[in-house]
Amino acid sequence: MNARIALCLTALLIAAPALAQQPPKGLLRIPEFAALADKASESVNVTLDSALLGMGCRFLDASDPEEASAKKLCNSLSGIYVRSYTFDSDFAYPKADVDGVRRQLSGPGWSRMVQAHSKRENTDVDVFMLLDNGKAMGLAIIASEPREFTIVNIVGTIDLEQLHELEGKFGVPALGIEASKKTEKVAPKKKS
Amino acid sequence: MSTDNFEDELRRALRPVGAPEGFADRLMRALPAREPRAALAIVPPASRPALRRFWMPAAMAASLIASVLLGQHVANQREAERVAREVEAGQKASRELMQALRVTSQKLDIAYQAVTNPPATELEENRS
Repeated sequence: MNARIALCLTALLIAAPALAQQPPKGLLRIPEFAALADKASESVNVTLDSALLGMGCRFLDASDPEEASAKKLCNSLSGIYVRSYTFDSDFAYPKADVDGVRRQLSGPGWSRMVQAHSKRENTDVDVFMLLDNGKAMGLAIIASEPREFTIVNIVGTIDLEQLHELEGKFGVPALGIEASKKTEKVAPKKKS
Repeated sequence: MSTDNFEDELRRALRPVGAPEGFADRLMRALPAREPRAALAIVPPASRPALRRFWMPAAMAASLIASVLLGQHVANQREAERVAREVEAGQKASRELMQALRVTSQKLDIAYQAVTNPPATELEENRS
């Protein structure tokens, strides 16, 4: 009996750090793409975890309308991760890595909001949202072009109303986001 | 008495006479003894023990004050450096945040354009 209790306690002790280090909901495992930065003609690598995001939020200028909107939005977020690389030649990036991130978005909770594909420009843009009890807990954008690819992962409670408020300020388009539509599941509309 | 007689009497009375024998010795003995030269020291002997008693604590107090002031200065300098580092990191983070939001909006814009104005033959879309 004592041996069983000791075994259970040992198992709990081993599992505790693993449980404590569980990543927040909506956080994707995005590769660092460190080798690509040298090959790319332009690159954007933003990694803002909860602490850095909080720090960045504090330093936003509330008198600037653009930054004031960002400040409102980022208070509820716990991470923003962006990898964007532009190359001088076609498909210089490892497509498998991008597909690896795409596969994570087929997991439970993630819904595809928009899937756009241009045959002429060979461009794919996918917008995913992680919904939990009707709340948007994460946003992911994967955009790939022959000479450019971008992965965006926003983690945290995304207030769709606030995202709506950003429309037109960063060039964010009017996506027709309405609070009442938050819980709707994505369904394919058409495919040509 | 006439004036001449008086003058003669006075001159006689005041004539120089030799000192009696042993007068000089008696006089010297009668004078008070000279104080020794060593007694004329610059530093009064009474003040020396006080200085000796207080210089060590005074030096220690001065060292303590100096080290407290130096410590305070170093702490202030470190605090200023920490604040400067924090401000720099915060400004960098806010720049990155704005850059991230711009990239996000740019990509959302592409998706939006594709969704709202799909060229008849080239765009495929799913939209909620």
